[in-house]
Amino acid sequence: MDAKLKETILNPIFKGNPITVLVLGICSSLAVTVTLKGALVMTLSVIVVCGISSLILSLLRNTIPGRVRIIVQLVVVAMMVILVDQILKSFEATYAIDKQLSVYIGLIITNCIVMGRIEAFALGNKPWPSFLDGVANGAGYGLILLVVAFFRELLGSGTLFGVDILGRFGYVPNNLVILPPFALILLGCIVWAQRAVQKDLQEK
Amino acid sequence: MNTNNNVYTVIYTTAIVVVVAALLAFVSQSLKARQEANEKAETISQMLTSAQYGSKAEIDLLSNNQKLDKYAQEIDQAFLIDREGNVVDSLSIDREDLKVYGPKELKRENYNIKGGANATGDAHIPVFIFKNGRTVVPIYGAGLWGPIWGYISFEADKATIGGAYFDHESETAGLGSKIKDDPSFQAEFVGEKADFSSPNVFDIVKGGAPKDADGKSVTDNKIDAITGATMTSQGLDAAIDTWLAAYAKYFTANAPKKEHCGNCQHGHQHGGHGEHGEEGGHHHHHQHEEE
Repeated sequence: MDAKLKETILNPIFKGNPITVLVLGICSSLAVTVTLKGALVMTLSVIVVCGISSLILSLLRNTIPGRVRIIVQLVVVAMMVILVDQILKSFEATYAIDKQLSVYIGLIITNCIVMGRIEAFALGNKPWPSFLDGVANGAGYGLILLVVAFFRELLGSGTLFGVDILGRFGYVPNNLVILPPFALILLGCIVWAQRAVQKDLQEK
Repeated sequence: MNTNNNVYTVIYTTAIVVVVAALLAFVSQSLKARQEANEKAETISQMLTSAQYGSKAEIDLLSNNQKLDKYAQEIDQAFLIDREGNVVDSLSIDREDLKVYGPKELKRENYNIKGGANATGDAHIPVFIFKNGRTVVPIYGAGLWGPIWGYISFEADKATIGGAYFDHESETAGLGSKIKDDPSFQAEFVGEKADFSSPNVFDIVKGGAPKDADGKSVTDNKIDAITGATMTSQGLDAAIDTWLAAYAKYFTANAPKKEHCGNCQHGHQHGGHGEHGEEGGHHHHHQHEEE
């Protein structure tokens, strides 16, 4: 694999993470991180939507009329979101999760990461790198989601993936952790930690 | 190729929309049966929750098939009534052909209850009687952003609420969505009494429902609304009033007679609660009816 492609994949995971560096997708990362299960389904959904939308639009990139390109992007992303939602609703295992995530699966379309990567990358690059860029950005978003959800589920419910962990030691769940403001505080801490390590992100 | 040409732009956008629409219609049709099976199991789970066969989380540990089994095993009678309380049709309780009323069916009957342009006929509303003696009836209405619905169970006296479960399509997460996600809100309904003699069968009030000395809601037809979700609370209140009013004649006519001594005591207790103040009027009315 050549260096450029490697950079396309690795950059969104850490150095150019869509949540902590680009500060996109904050809304949903506060909403769906109460449980790890919800965060995992959201992560996979965003990876699929982001990757395949980027691939389709990269294939179409030379045919899309410039004046309506945002509308064409919207149609494709909306289609992917509806497909993911329909599929989640169709399986017994994912139906309950889809109900729990309720509006947030539908709101993937408003997630700035998806449209942002299509506009910034997929419309100017070949299909394969575009697909990888979409997947990698979805994964970078999901990584932060899972880290936040890990702490929120562990401290807020005393469980991980619904399995009782801290409750056995007499831990009393902290209700503050369940509420969205705590997710924002946690996100702030993650951004802080990343900036401490990655000096080039610090403003002079 | 000049992609900025007007004709090209129009043809391109039309083509992409048609292709996407066709694909989505195809997918939706092919997955429909599976989704309906999931929705039916979910409706059954919600009804079992309201009839107090366990918490929603406990019942959801069962698979779809187990939920259907449990329902078929616990249901005693299911039938449709008209507004006068007359039974007009029965609903199948055969395991292979269970008939339940989910949001789609409730939406249709909601039009019929309200009348007007969308009505398709007279309202025929379902009653589900479980073997534990509880009677489950649905409610349906408009929340803030979309439809809300739910199931309320009544004890054998056909007035005391045994349990309730509500669901919604798109209420605000963390606020309006509490009608579904907050078990303590649903628990508030338990033990309250619907007032079938009034158009305000049940009230979800802003600013505090009457409480007793221990801070517990007194037995009346009022509970507290959800903080920060005024519109959803009002929508739920209207949905409950509209639907329970349609059931009023059925419940009044089928309430057990007051000959049992246990019920007498019940009535006296209520008189006591009535002294708590503003609720006196309501309870007076109740007593009158009971006598």
